[in-house]
Amino acid sequence: MSILEARREQTRARYPDEEGYVERDGVRVFWERYGDGPTTLLLFPTSPISHSRLWKAQIPFLARHHRVLAFDPRGNGRSDRPTDAAAYGSWEFVEDGRAVLEAGGAERAILVGLCDGGGWALMLASRHPATALGVVAIAPFVPYLTPGHPNYTRYPFDEPLDSGEGWAKYNIHYWRRDFRGFLEFFFSQQLPEPHSTKQIEDCVEWGLGTDPETLALADDEAPLPWSSKEEARALCEGVSCPVLVMHGELDQCQPRERAEAVAALTRGTLVTLEGAGHLPQARHPVKVNLLIRDFVASLERRTP
Amino acid sequence: MSAVTETPREQTRARYPDEEGYVERDGVRVFYEVYGDAPTTFLLFPTGPISHSRLWKAQIPYLSRYFRVVVFDPRGNGRSDRPGTAKAYSRWEFVEDGRAAIEAAGAETALVGGLCHGGGSALMLAARYPAIALGVFAIAPFVPMLAPSHENYLQFPFDEELDTEEGWAKCNSHYWRRDYPGFLEFFFSHQLPEPHSTKQLEDCVEWGLAGDVDANVLSAVEASRPWASEKDARALCKRVRCPVLVAHGDLDGCQPRQEAEAVAELTGGSLVTLEGAGHLPQARHPVKVNGLMKEFADSVVPPEPKVRRWTRGLSRRKRALFICSPIGLGHAQRDVAIARELRQLVPDLEIDWLAQDPVTKVLEVEGERIHPMSAELANESGHMESESAEHDLHCFQAWRRMDEILVANFMVFHDVAREENYDLWIGDEAWELDYYLHENPEEKRAAYAWLTDFVGWLPMPDGGEREAFLTADYNAEMIEHIARYPRVRDRAIYVGNPDDVVGESFGPELPLIRDWTEQHFDFAGYVSGFDPAAFADREKLRHELGYRPDEQVCIVTVGGSGVGGHLLRRVVDAFPDAKELVPDLRMIVVAGPRIDSAAFPEQDGLEVRAYVHNLYRHLAACDLAVVQGGLTTSMELTANRRPFLYFPLRHHFEQNFHVRHRLGRYGAGRAMDFETATPAGIAQAIAEEIGRDVDYAPVETDGAAKAAARIAELL
Repeated sequence: MSILEARREQTRARYPDEEGYVERDGVRVFWERYGDGPTTLLLFPTSPISHSRLWKAQIPFLARHHRVLAFDPRGNGRSDRPTDAAAYGSWEFVEDGRAVLEAGGAERAILVGLCDGGGWALMLASRHPATALGVVAIAPFVPYLTPGHPNYTRYPFDEPLDSGEGWAKYNIHYWRRDFRGFLEFFFSQQLPEPHSTKQIEDCVEWGLGTDPETLALADDEAPLPWSSKEEARALCEGVSCPVLVMHGELDQCQPRERAEAVAALTRGTLVTLEGAGHLPQARHPVKVNLLIRDFVASLERRTP
Repeated sequence: MSAVTETPREQTRARYPDEEGYVERDGVRVFYEVYGDAPTTFLLFPTGPISHSRLWKAQIPYLSRYFRVVVFDPRGNGRSDRPGTAKAYSRWEFVEDGRAAIEAAGAETALVGGLCHGGGSALMLAARYPAIALGVFAIAPFVPMLAPSHENYLQFPFDEELDTEEGWAKCNSHYWRRDYPGFLEFFFSHQLPEPHSTKQLEDCVEWGLAGDVDANVLSAVEASRPWASEKDARALCKRVRCPVLVAHGDLDGCQPRQEAEAVAELTGGSLVTLEGAGHLPQARHPVKVNGLMKEFADSVVPPEPKVRRWTRGLSRRKRALFICSPIGLGHAQRDVAIARELRQLVPDLEIDWLAQDPVTKVLEVEGERIHPMSAELANESGHMESESAEHDLHCFQAWRRMDEILVANFMVFHDVAREENYDLWIGDEAWELDYYLHENPEEKRAAYAWLTDFVGWLPMPDGGEREAFLTADYNAEMIEHIARYPRVRDRAIYVGNPDDVVGESFGPELPLIRDWTEQHFDFAGYVSGFDPAAFADREKLRHELGYRPDEQVCIVTVGGSGVGGHLLRRVVDAFPDAKELVPDLRMIVVAGPRIDSAAFPEQDGLEVRAYVHNLYRHLAACDLAVVQGGLTTSMELTANRRPFLYFPLRHHFEQNFHVRHRLGRYGAGRAMDFETATPAGIAQAIAEEIGRDVDYAPVETDGAAKAAARIAELL
């Protein structure tokens, strides 16, 4: 059974008003701008496992009132696919975001991200406080802040395994054999809500926009931005803008403790999404859109 | 409508101040109150001396759950001084009084709100003291000279002697000296142009009359201006640096729209236009205004971050919120019976109760889950008791005078309903819920079932034309609510049968109550909290309760409140005569917690008890009961086929009309008139009725199941 055949992109609800590339150290990153409201929202991608279409259920709504910037991560979509691991370091994605912000004509923005992207949003807010009006972090990945989700420690990533079942698919050798099979497994875990077929198909399709070697560079070989829990905590504590954290209690990628720690250390608000998995922006778009809208409104009122 | 100017004692408040005191400036004492102790302070300015701090009665109980609310009476009204010079009433004096009240409350900064003059005062405070004002919430602000006065004020000169006193000619210093109450009634009826505003109008006139300032001084206040030109007024607004929200009713008869627009524009604030609203939306549209105030305050001073939850639709358990009126214990018993049936039909249903004493006592015994926010509800039964006199409860007026409590309790419900996703709300005579949902239909976010055992306010004959007008006005508003928003009540269930509905009309040119109720309600039949079959073996029951077969047992009970003391006394006075007529008489008088049982001397055959456990079992076993005219007790007696005498409370339209009509249909009970019943007459009635075989129409026992079946369809 293949749930996926690569098709031409489906009709969008809204097309970008502007698009372009930013280039840093020879790596070109593709970005889009939607709308031109006074407040800017920068939507971070995740790791190269997906691209900016990830936010397709948010962009048309948010762009009616705001300037929305989205970009494809290095390694997927219309961005370049550098071949050295260092080019996929976390800070590179963060600085790509900052470059997109500049290219999109904004000095400050509300930074929105999911998983890795949630971590990058926090990193940008911590390193460049003047840039961040606020952070919306969905299931944020902040390395070392808490133990990772147990799914990732069941099997070694690098070693050939006897099994190709379950989380043994999270393995570079399996990826090389059946990348699509991995993506189908992975996203069905991340969308545990019944009746999520379309969202899974989308995610798999976007995942096929990269390849196993690129994804391994980014997810496994690239240097982590720090190497201790203390540094992770210090990063969060360095975020001075308002923070909204969302976390689905059925999340199979980022543990609840991590979301709680981010909220506690940034003095942010935590919204737990009961019955939701790792990708609420896709599966529960109305709720996520309204949470983002309310958060943005609270920040806009604060800065008359 | 002449009776609106009588000044009654202050009605029960939903919340009383935690602190009160006076600030004194230049020898003038100004009375202030502080409610709540949250870190953020919210000062609510009064208007000019035309009103006092009760103006905010619909806001204080709600806002003080989130803020430290400071209010004060203006110079010239309430408990503040009435200085004799016009200078003491200049606009800046009110502003400085506000600043002093903030300081007295121990705050350095505050959100400041105000209406009309008070809205202007709030802006003036923010302009003069930017470090104090965090934000300004101004309703129909009056900023002198900023815009041309409302055309109403331009029709006649204020200071000149006029040859008419019709209409706005009453807004004239000479007329004020002649008939200030007449001016107030005229003025406020124009400031409350919304139909069905009688209570708000009465309140405003009452508060206006509390300001007994010399009319000459008032006139001078009216004429005083804190600055000389429109330019000055604009400059003042521009000096306001904090966030501003302006609310303005488009039917405002006091402050023109252009003024509100100018304030919003010059301060960079937001303008919320309230369509169909007049000058006093805080009184007439309290739910909306409260929501705007809270939202504005939260935007200025964001609340502490907190952990929130949202549950995906298909992952939710089915949940219902039962809102059960505490006025009369009968609701609790029948609602528990309905809840039990509902769980049979929807086994995974989780039911929470938003309820207060004495309902909660029943719920606790039944092991029901009482929502913790119930603790925030203002006391309704206590209010009803405070409104009663000797065997007398004017329940329509007492209910009207509960308006502050009803809004406060609706806001508690509102917060619960917004925080938690219930599938269904069930309101058993939950007046606040039904009324404010129809007034604010956008607040409906769950299925809603309404239960009641009577429909239609009815006037007592001695209430005269005024009361007939008022009850008809309330009925008309209810009829309009249902006609305009049939989607609000998903179920309307009458606890009874069509024949139980009275035959009267709702009022002049209004439908007959029976016709209308049949069109708009389902009928569950009577819902009792117990099964009469359990008492079928009366001999056994009597034995268990210690009543001998040869005794003639008469139970006298008047409920848990203190209202019934006079009836008890009268029945006790009748005891010697009754004992003579019925030698085997054993009378048990249940005094309840609020009546001193020691006040009734024991006699042979007469026992006075403070409390009787499971009273309903005694009522099922007795040979006669003597009770008030409440529905639950009298229907329990009817279901158990016991003879009884009942004395409807004076001025209690429900007991005098609705219950009496229903008992008549069952052929149950003997109605007695407290007014005319002498001890000898009562003794005679006891002798005639006690132990009598009755031929009551049977009372159905499936009412709870029928009601639950209709409600379950919503789940």
